[in-house]
Amino acid sequence: MSLTSTLLLTPFLTAFLVLLVPGNYRLVIRALALLGSMVTAVLGMAVFIHFDPAGAPYQFESLATWVSSSVLRINYHVGVDGIAAAMLLVTALVGFAAVAVSWEIEHQTKLFYILLLVMIGGALGAFASLDLFFFYFFNELALVPTFIMIGVWGHGEERTYAAFKITMYLTAGAMVALAGLIGLYTLSGASSLDLIELQKQLAKAPLSATSQKILFPCLLFGFGTLVGLFPFHSWAPQGYGCAPAATAMMHAGILKKAGLFAILRVALPLMPEGVAMWTPVLAILCVGNLLHCGFVALRQKDLNLLIGNSSLAHMGFAFLGIASLTVVGLTGTVLVMFSHALLAALSFALSGWIRRQTGTLEMAKMGGLLQRMPFIGSVLTLCFLAGCGVPGFANFAGEIAVMFGSWKALPWVVVAAAWGGLIIGGVYMLRALRAVLHGKAREELSTVIDAPNLWRKLPFVLLAAGLLLFGFFPGAITRRVAPAVNRIAELARPVAKPAAAVTAAVATPAKPAAN
Amino acid sequence: MDAHATQQVAEAGSKYQDLAWMVLASPLICGAGSWFLSRRLRGLTAGFNIAGVLLSLVLGVILFGISGDHPLAATAFHWLPIPGLDLTIGLQIDRLSSLMTLVVTAVASLVMIYSTGYMHDDRSYSRFFCTLSLFVFSMLGIVLADNLMMIFVFWELVGVSSYLLIGFWHERPAAGDAAKKAFLSNRLGDFGFLLGILMVWAATGTLNLAELSAKFGANPSILGSMASIAGLLVFMGAMGKSAQFPLHVWLPDAMEGPTPVSALIHAATMVAAGVYMLCRVFFLYTAPGAWPAPLDFLGGLGAGTIIGYIGGFTALLAALIAVQQNDIKRILAYSTLSQLGYMVMAVGLGAQLGTPASGMYHLVTHAFFKAMLFLGAGSVIHACHHEQDIWKMGGLWKKMPKTFWTFVIGTAALAGLPPFSGFYSKDEVLVTALEVNPVLFVVAVVVAILTTFYMVRLVVVAFLGDARSESASHAHESPAVMTWPLLILAVPSVALAWLPLGEFIGSALGGHGHGHGAAHAAVEKYPVGILPLIENLSNGVNGALFGPFNHNALAAMMGLFAVLIGSSLAWTCYSKATSDPLPKTLGGWARLLKGRFYFDEIYSGVFVPLHDVAGAVADWIDRWIIAGLGIRGLHGSVELVGRALRLVQSGNLQTYTFLFAAGLAVVAWFTLR
Repeated sequence: MSLTSTLLLTPFLTAFLVLLVPGNYRLVIRALALLGSMVTAVLGMAVFIHFDPAGAPYQFESLATWVSSSVLRINYHVGVDGIAAAMLLVTALVGFAAVAVSWEIEHQTKLFYILLLVMIGGALGAFASLDLFFFYFFNELALVPTFIMIGVWGHGEERTYAAFKITMYLTAGAMVALAGLIGLYTLSGASSLDLIELQKQLAKAPLSATSQKILFPCLLFGFGTLVGLFPFHSWAPQGYGCAPAATAMMHAGILKKAGLFAILRVALPLMPEGVAMWTPVLAILCVGNLLHCGFVALRQKDLNLLIGNSSLAHMGFAFLGIASLTVVGLTGTVLVMFSHALLAALSFALSGWIRRQTGTLEMAKMGGLLQRMPFIGSVLTLCFLAGCGVPGFANFAGEIAVMFGSWKALPWVVVAAAWGGLIIGGVYMLRALRAVLHGKAREELSTVIDAPNLWRKLPFVLLAAGLLLFGFFPGAITRRVAPAVNRIAELARPVAKPAAAVTAAVATPAKPAAN
Repeated sequence: MDAHATQQVAEAGSKYQDLAWMVLASPLICGAGSWFLSRRLRGLTAGFNIAGVLLSLVLGVILFGISGDHPLAATAFHWLPIPGLDLTIGLQIDRLSSLMTLVVTAVASLVMIYSTGYMHDDRSYSRFFCTLSLFVFSMLGIVLADNLMMIFVFWELVGVSSYLLIGFWHERPAAGDAAKKAFLSNRLGDFGFLLGILMVWAATGTLNLAELSAKFGANPSILGSMASIAGLLVFMGAMGKSAQFPLHVWLPDAMEGPTPVSALIHAATMVAAGVYMLCRVFFLYTAPGAWPAPLDFLGGLGAGTIIGYIGGFTALLAALIAVQQNDIKRILAYSTLSQLGYMVMAVGLGAQLGTPASGMYHLVTHAFFKAMLFLGAGSVIHACHHEQDIWKMGGLWKKMPKTFWTFVIGTAALAGLPPFSGFYSKDEVLVTALEVNPVLFVVAVVVAILTTFYMVRLVVVAFLGDARSESASHAHESPAVMTWPLLILAVPSVALAWLPLGEFIGSALGGHGHGHGAAHAAVEKYPVGILPLIENLSNGVNGALFGPFNHNALAAMMGLFAVLIGSSLAWTCYSKATSDPLPKTLGGWARLLKGRFYFDEIYSGVFVPLHDVAGAVADWIDRWIIAGLGIRGLHGSVELVGRALRLVQSGNLQTYTFLFAAGLAVVAWFTLR
């Protein structure tokens, strides 16, 4: 069994073991979940470290045919390229941190941990799959627990509405994407949903320009909805506002990135004509994320809504990198995906701690918390500084790469991005720090406590250390993703003479292109 | 043989490179190390951090000695390697950066030693020292950087350390507000700075300073029609960090931080980073001005000229405001603003002379005497139990002689009285202004008069006369650990300009510096390094002392004249005053000055609401249009259809019969029609 399969299997196996433990053995359940996610984290690191950028494009592969008929072959096919290696690492880390902060869950503990582990396994599966069917399956497998967890363990009066809204949006997005994928499969004439075979097939006989122009937006907006692309974003902040900390960490941190991952891996390389037509639209929409969502974040009085909106604003950078279609910009997108996963997870972990201690997330009711919670307060400061793009944290590397990559093609969008990231981001992040941490300590919050021991501090330290480590050495990621990003950029680049190429493809369908 | 020699040079080079990296890394290592290992042991932590900066200072001196005519570039660390973009961390050690390293580490180590006394009773003693070390590391990063992106990275980091230090007493609401304001004003500047960097990169394909300099040397109009705009965008960075109008509002508020922080960061080093950066990228400003089509009417107006006006305006504005402030630290803060305006003006005008040397010269002397003034103010505040209003002081000169005399020296240097160092550097600024722009020369002289006026006012009111409050009457001299740094700083404040520093800077910046007298001719081949410096000392002193009068008598006389006018005016107004007589004489003008021209009110009344309104609109759109039409609309329409259909399924037999009949009738009508 390949390393990837082992990595995938671990959380599912752990979930199964947890299932066997009686529900009132809370400690055993938690210990088991922690152990399982810790092993997953170590395996994730192993995949990342052992991934060789000079080696084969997809490494640690496993392939087994699952369904084989004349019309459709579905393979269990997993393997990692550089982008997947980075995402698997961050998923495993965030997964462990999410399990570690979940000590606060007190009722139906068993179900919670099973769902959380399934979420982790599903997310890992989505990033590792090289078969579109399995990608979709794993992604849905990770999404469904979100809805349940918000409904059952969520906070606030609006949680039913939030759960409903998030379900509706994400299901709608997934349906549109599915339609795109099915269209892609049927029109390509390929005999399987295997991504590599599909790529080969489409390289030989590209789709007609018209179908590309129809299918590409299905994937872009379908998967884009999962990421929170403007204007399909309003599910996110409210969903996160009500979700338990671990769910928000996994969803905002990891599952959102699966949408971007799919755009990078499926939509961009397979349909250059569609890319050429729709990336200008994407460039305009990402201004919506960068500025509109930033402005909305400016208005929020609730800490979680602020983090939720700011994370949408950060996704604007990821979309901008995609819209730039340059190697530098796309690398920036991957860096933003990676670093924002850590950042969002850390933010929601911290807000979870604060909510538990103060009983509120309304920033006006806090103040002076740094005096009572020096550790949590300091990490929150680090986290929010990272959130407004301070160098030294991984986010800065990603954002700066996106801006460099997009400057020549889309200067005005970069101006918007710089304004959104440097100014608006700075304003709401620092306002929040001022409101939550600085000033006089409040009487009514005299009972709050800081993270008491190393064990409670561990998830925060782990995530913050990740942000710093990859902020200092983003090269560890960029070197690994370079081959994959180069490939994507080459395939996605609009063909030199689109009209001629299409006519040739239509006129002589029997004659495949030389390469 | 030849290969062997090359190898030797390379080996020697790499040895110095390690040295240079140590200069940069030592504060970081000591700061971070002591935070994790020894922060509970206060004394040890302070010792570690001081040792770290002192090590940087010593290594800096060595580096200064060995960095000769040939700049040394240290190997780059590939921070963000992407095909098509290689952002690196690398060092460029030349005369300019090694001089600036000395200034930063010297002031920083004295301030840190002073802080062991000033912050002695503070709860967060260790945090203070570690954050200061972080600042020194970031500042040295700017100084030694060999490329624009690295400058930007450390630029942001000094912003962060400044944020952390202004908000050091985070339980004070005002400190929290001031920290936020400082960071955000700087961010506005950095927004332009980043766009400027992107523009330069897009046009030239490199960010390395040496390569850029070469490219601009070969083709001054490489930026095409965007030359002036790119120059101004990069200047925006300096505008934020060096607090130039209109982004000046954060600096006075930054005085909420502990006084040693004000001395180091908000007087001597960080705020001067803007001027230093302008010197580093001076090649952007020597090119002739060019504007894109819609701005064609600006013609050949260079970015440098605009910068000169902004600097001059800031200098005047801040000097005026300083006249009517009563908080000892705020007076000094506005004075810093004003002097920074001087430097920026000199650099901007220097664009036409081909060298920013006079601005840089003033930066160096100002760093020492302004740091000393702030530390002196800290000593006073410490003695008066955190009283900062000068009208509640008085009579301190007998009780705190060391503080008083060093403060007087600082005042003389700042006002520009010969033979104190400030006179010589200010004279260079005046000469630059006189040669390039007579209007700004007049402004500069007026500013010099105002400077003397408010400084003499400060000294007279705070130190002379009788004690005007309980705390002032019980004041006593600060401990030795605080007075020694003052005494040490007094030496460069007096005598720095006696060294041929102006010539050194002139040669460091490549252009033709305005040397004084005899030394002027020797500028080009002026020997560099510690030993030659000392050898030349005796020749230099004479030339330097009287240089200004030989070189440009008008400027020097005007400088001297400004001191005399300003000090005699201040003496008449304040020598016997127990309260400020100016508000009565000036009326509304005094209120305007005291209210700092109401910039803060204007900004918080205009710019803050603008963003808030935009936020409210976006929020409304989100809530009612996107969520409303999208999700609630979908929700609502599904529900409406459900309700409508429910009406049909009433379960009432008569209704069903009626509907059945009605349906039949409709069908019949369609078929039989």
